[in-house]
Amino acid sequence: MQLDSPVLRRWSIWLLAAVLLAAPVYLVRATSLQQSSSEGQAIFAQKCQACHTIGGGRLVGPDLQGVTQRRDLSWLKEFISAPDQMLASGDPIATQLLAEYNNVPMPNLALSPAEVEALIAYLENPAAGGAGNVPPSAAPAGPGDAARGQALFSGQIRLQNGGASCIACHSVAGLPTLGGGSLGPDLTQVVQRYGGEAGTASVLVSLPFPTMQGFFATRPFTPQEQADLLAYFIWAGAQPAPQQTTSPAAWFWAVGIGGALVLFAGMALFWPRQRRSISEQLRSMG
Amino acid sequence: MNWNSLLFVIFPYIALSVCVIGSVYRSIYRPFTISSLSSQLLERRKLYWGSISLHYGILIILLGHLLALLLPRGLMLWNAAPVRLYLLELTGLALGIWALAGLAILIYRRFTTRRLWPVTTRMDWLVLILLLVSVITGVWTATAYRFGSYWFTAVFTPYLWSLITLQPRPEFVAPLPWVIQLHVFNFFLLLLIFPFSRLVHIVTYPLGYLLRPWQIVVAMRGRVTPQAQ
Repeated sequence: MQLDSPVLRRWSIWLLAAVLLAAPVYLVRATSLQQSSSEGQAIFAQKCQACHTIGGGRLVGPDLQGVTQRRDLSWLKEFISAPDQMLASGDPIATQLLAEYNNVPMPNLALSPAEVEALIAYLENPAAGGAGNVPPSAAPAGPGDAARGQALFSGQIRLQNGGASCIACHSVAGLPTLGGGSLGPDLTQVVQRYGGEAGTASVLVSLPFPTMQGFFATRPFTPQEQADLLAYFIWAGAQPAPQQTTSPAAWFWAVGIGGALVLFAGMALFWPRQRRSISEQLRSMG
Repeated sequence: MNWNSLLFVIFPYIALSVCVIGSVYRSIYRPFTISSLSSQLLERRKLYWGSISLHYGILIILLGHLLALLLPRGLMLWNAAPVRLYLLELTGLALGIWALAGLAILIYRRFTTRRLWPVTTRMDWLVLILLLVSVITGVWTATAYRFGSYWFTAVFTPYLWSLITLQPRPEFVAPLPWVIQLHVFNFFLLLLIFPFSRLVHIVTYPLGYLLRPWQIVVAMRGRVTPQAQ
């Protein structure tokens, strides 16, 4: 058979397409099968402990002691899987909890159904998992320095474990005109919203938010950084609200459009070089 | 498997494979089709305002994305002072709006210039539409979800490296706003159609000009014009 025959070419394209389709499917399946179903305690320590205790009282969110008796099992599963959707659908219990806990919604932690099962198994019987083994949220090291916290927030001092500084996504009142980032929420009142110093401190330990987890799970704040940031947030939250000026987004649009106009003006300098072509000149002569 | 793996793991691999294999195939078996089939001879005035701004704007921004992928540490050091961060962000946004305006001019040009219609393929329109989605979602991200030049290093650098090293971690993209997800997905769509569209002309960037000896060009156009005769 000729090497360049259409039949051979068509078949090789089909074969290639099949391999391309099959390989990533295999990859994804392989990664998702690695999760063991008996990891409830580990998941709790990694993703829940920042906001919840088991028998230690309320933190950012409720104490989860006996939650499996308090709530309907299917409700619990649904809520742990997708709290954001539960809230959006106006579920009465979820709405009431939101109001009770300073309007801090529980983030969607993107847990797989198997992980939710593992968590519920652990919550049903924390002692079986060896509750004593769950270390209490590490307390920040001593008193923090608010000025150092601000430098950490805006990036002048680098985070020791290589994390991106807070200003990349968050703002706090009192930053320069253009403020901080807006991918994440404004953190000016974070201490008030997260139920005081204890709640905020415990969130700073593990940063259990889905957007942050991917990056910060392996680059946590050091205890000193946690203390400094907490001190900064406490200080920032206590400042009087600054005068409402032009929003950073408006500044961005204004400068961005202005910059584009300058670039067009630059192009205009080269416009005379764009002479009419010979044919255009001939045509215009009639 | 879920939507997130489908859109941000499986689809990227398919798109990238098709892009590489298709482009190599086309450059070997259809070498003379690697071109954008310029329409400059048919219309050149609107093209000047549209093409220059789109190309320079998008090229610099694309290089910025690439830089964030290859040198995240350097970018984080640059952004360590808020003033430098603001400068970079505003420059990027200005270039993005410049490119967006250029693209709008090019779309308007295709629509209104009758003599371009016979040489315009459906794929040309698709390229224009996908580029429009890309630039709009990009400008939207730059203004509404600041500061992309900084959080890129914490979200997309690890995500893209996870794809490149064959250990995909789509969980980086899952919690992001849909505008940013669309921006990412749209990029993979562009990769997918790359070898089948005029986008292939990107690989013909004339780097040879940097190395070849200089030439003298004597322009006669300015001296002898039809009017002068």
